Amino acid sequence: MNLNIDHLHTDYLNDVSFELNNENMVILGSNGAGKTTLAKAIVNLKENDRIFCNTKKVCEMSSELRARLLNFIPSKLEVFDEYIDVHEFLELSLLNGTSHGEIEKVLRLLDIEHLAHKSCKEISSGESQLVLFAGGLLQNSELTLFDEPTANLDSDKKIKIFELLKRHQGLKLVITHDLNLAYKLGFRVLFLQNGTVTYDGSCEQFFDSENLFRLFGDSIKRVDDFFMVNYR
Amino acid sequence: MKLTILIGALILLSVSAFMGETQLDIQKILDPDAIEYLLFWDLRAPRVVVAFSSGAILALGGLVFQAVFRNSLTTPFTLGVSSGATLATAFGIIFLPASLVAFSSIFSFFGAFSTVLLLFLFARVLNTMQTGSLLLIGIALSFFYSAALMVLYYISDLQQSYSIIRFTMGSLNVVGFTHVYAVIAAAFLLLGVTLRYKHELRLILTSYDNAFLKGIEIKKINLILLFFVSISVGVSVSVVGPIGFVGLVIPHVIKLIYKQSSDKLILPVFFYGGVFLVLCDLIARNLGTVSEIPIGVVTSFVGGPFFIYLIGKRKNSNG
Repeated sequence: MNLNIDHLHTDYLNDVSFELNNENMVILGSNGAGKTTLAKAIVNLKENDRIFCNTKKVCEMSSELRARLLNFIPSKLEVFDEYIDVHEFLELSLLNGTSHGEIEKVLRLLDIEHLAHKSCKEISSGESQLVLFAGGLLQNSELTLFDEPTANLDSDKKIKIFELLKRHQGLKLVITHDLNLAYKLGFRVLFLQNGTVTYDGSCEQFFDSENLFRLFGDSIKRVDDFFMVNYR
Repeated sequence: MKLTILIGALILLSVSAFMGETQLDIQKILDPDAIEYLLFWDLRAPRVVVAFSSGAILALGGLVFQAVFRNSLTTPFTLGVSSGATLATAFGIIFLPASLVAFSSIFSFFGAFSTVLLLFLFARVLNTMQTGSLLLIGIALSFFYSAALMVLYYISDLQQSYSIIRFTMGSLNVVGFTHVYAVIAAAFLLLGVTLRYKHELRLILTSYDNAFLKGIEIKKINLILLFFVSISVGVSVSVVGPIGFVGLVIPHVIKLIYKQSSDKLILPVFFYGGVFLVLCDLIARNLGTVSEIPIGVVTSFVGGPFFIYLIGKRKNSNG
């Protein structure tokens, strides 16, 4: 699949352009840099006409085709009706040929079988993040954009999500703050600062010490293969 | 609980046409020459059917509006549909020649319908289907209509004012089945459309973003749902007047009893909305007062306190 972002301008983004050819990506950047805005623009939740998927404008696609190609997993679960439970919520993600039986499988995979019949409004923020992630796996669009998929999770769950991002089928675009996650995933890195792309390239070069210093100053310190906040 | 209520409702529906100020001899109902025949088939039966269909429309309309506007206090009335109908009817009552006043119900249908068109026009011009702003426009329209209605009161004579006031209280006084067919048709049209979009409704009940990402044409679905609710509410208001509270109370009560998401409650809300209005009408007809109490008064008297009770109960059970 080819995704082309061609001179995208929005309230927060300033002339963002890049192209993805059957590859995964990590988007890094500080708070308010425009990461979520960019992801929402790509799936056209934020309406614009600068995104092309397989040379077709996303904003001109039929809704069905768009849902087959692109999906966005927000960082917070939002459900209006208090009586919709987790299982029912996940049923709504069965649209690209995934079967009913897959729901149980994915719930087991993420260790959240016990949530199946709880109301989506009663579960914790970490749990709802796992539910959203499960929905992304079930919808199984060609490219899935994950917004901070590990932000509220315990370390064992973080590892689980990491492994799934690494090996589950489908292309992924992962927004995160977590440098260690980005490093371990090894995907191509896009770095946003104040709505402008200041780095776009391989993971290896991104974590090169000179580049890190250029982007973060001395606030990040590398210890072996880990990146620490350098509290002084 | 559900079964008890269902049995009670079915009994109520089957006996309500037989209960009233005049006791009916059941055997004479089928005798075309008896006065009972006329009373039953021309007055009581159509009345029960109109009550059921209108109640069903208002309740289901409330359910759909609450989902689409993501606001549990929304009903078709909040958007000014009923005020539009009332204003147009008042206009008809005052300006139509006395011989044509019976046609003022046609006015009320067009009042309701043009309000809906006006809302859609605003939505297009402002290029927004954001439900928040549409809701505000509806509220603004309601106020505008109320002001215009005041002007009409001011220029009308005593008799006309009285007719207008009676209309705004709602009335199930229908004679014969002519108007009844329109309300039945509107009720089942709305039911059919809502059932057809059940899946989309459930997606809307999660969040608009989620529905969008699952490949739903949200703007289109919203317009279709609002359009059909408004048409059927327009038909209902034109026949029985604006009857409040049904659209607000019934969806909430059914939700508390069934404890299921709204998309699964389409049939129960439709059915019990109808039953509720039949019950209210039964009360209105059988209080033994000189003239019957307007139906809108009864729905508010029954619905208001019950609603507050339910809110209190819900708060306790949630801790």
